[in-house]
Amino acid sequence: MKNRRVSLIILTGVLLLVSVPVLAHHGTAAFDMNTLTTVKGTVTKFEFMNPHALIYVDVAGNKGEIEHWIAEESSNNHLSRSGWDKNTLKPGDQITLAGHRARNGAHVLEMQCSECSVTDSQGKVWPYQ
Amino acid sequence: MRNNNKLMTFILALMTAFAFSSVLRAQTAEQSGTTTSRATAPTVDLSGVWEANMPGLKWATYSFTPDIPSMTPWGKQRYLAVKPSYGPRSFADSTDYVNPTTGKDVGCLPPGVPRIYIQPFALEMIQTPGRVLQYFEFDHHVRQIFTDGRQHPKDPELTWMGDSIGWYEGDTFVVDTVGLNEKTWIDRGGLPHSDQLHVIEHIRRPNHDALEITITIDDPKAYTQTWSGYRNYKLEPTWNIKEFICADNGDYNKEFIEESGAYSPATPPKQKTKPAKPSK
Repeated sequence: MKNRRVSLIILTGVLLLVSVPVLAHHGTAAFDMNTLTTVKGTVTKFEFMNPHALIYVDVAGNKGEIEHWIAEESSNNHLSRSGWDKNTLKPGDQITLAGHRARNGAHVLEMQCSECSVTDSQGKVWPYQ
Repeated sequence: MRNNNKLMTFILALMTAFAFSSVLRAQTAEQSGTTTSRATAPTVDLSGVWEANMPGLKWATYSFTPDIPSMTPWGKQRYLAVKPSYGPRSFADSTDYVNPTTGKDVGCLPPGVPRIYIQPFALEMIQTPGRVLQYFEFDHHVRQIFTDGRQHPKDPELTWMGDSIGWYEGDTFVVDTVGLNEKTWIDRGGLPHSDQLHVIEHIRRPNHDALEITITIDDPKAYTQTWSGYRNYKLEPTWNIKEFICADNGDYNKEFIEESGAYSPATPPKQKTKPAKPSK
C-alpha cells in the first residue's frame, strides 16, 4: 500500500531567482515555472526524438487510481551529447521526475530547467541538458 | 644570351599576365561595386561547430538584447499583432510561425535572419573561397555569405535568409544582409521588422574557444533608431551537426502539443483509466 501511494512532492519557492534559462522548442507560458513538482512512477514509454524527447510515466494516485504523466525533455540531439541514448529509460523502470507542471493541472511536466532532473532506476541523476 | 632573352620574355609575360588579371579583377569588382578596402580572403579562422554560450541570461532564450527597442507606430502595431511563446509577450497559445502551440499546424517555417541564431541548436561555420557557409543544426538551414567581392543586387528578391555579403576587417568578419521577407521576426519574442530590414553582423573569435556575434538592426520603418544585440558561442570541437528534421515533428506535436492536455485549458488531465497495479 505504501508503494502504491502517490509520490508527489511540491516544492514552492523562489525558483525563478535561481533558474537558468530554458532552451525549449517553445516557450514555458503553459507551465508553472515557480513550482517544482516531483513525481515517482513507472516508465511506460520513452521516445528519444526531436524536437523533444518524451517520457511517459504511470503514477499511482492517492485513491489507487493511475495517473498518466508526460514529461518533456530536451531534444535527442542535446541529450545524446550528454550521455543519453534511446535505452536510457525503458518501460518498467521506476524513476523520479522533477519538473514544472502544466498550469492547467494536466499531468504534464516541463523538464527543461536547471533545477529539473530525472533519477533513473539505478539512482543515477540526469540533470537538464 | 639567348637564354637570358628567353628568361626576360618569360618574366615579362608573367608580369603582363598578373597585371592583366588584376585589371580583370578590378573591373569585376568595379562592376559589382566592391570597395578595395574590404578584404575578401579570410583573415580570421571562424571554422568549427559552435554552441550558444549565454549562461544565466534569461533574455538570451528569446532575443539578442534584454531591452525592447523603441519602435515606430508601424513596428509597434506589428509587434502587438503576434503571439510569441517567448519573451515579455509570451502566450501558451502561441501562433509562432516556427513553433506554434496551437492547432495542428506543425510550423517549421524558417526562422530567418537573424532569428536563426536564437534557435537553441548548434551552428557550424564553414569558410570556403568566395563564400562563408553557416550550417545550422536547426532544420539544417544553410546560409550563404558571399565573400567574392560582389555587392547586393539592386532590387533583391525577398527571402527568408536574405542576401548576405561579407568581408574581413582585421580580426572581424563583417556580414551585411538585405532582402529579407516580412514573414519572420527578429527574435523569438516577436520583435518585428519590415522589408527594409538591414542586418549588420560583426563576427569575432576573441580566443580559440569563443565566437562573438554582434548584430545590428537597421530598419527605419520598424524602429525609431538603429539598435544592436549580441550572441556568444563556445567551440565544441568534438561535435558534428546532428540530424534535425522539423517536418518530422509530427509525433511530438500530436502527442505533446495536441494531446497531452498542457495546452488545452478546458481539457482535464489524462488519468484514472484503470486501477493501479501493486508494485513489485
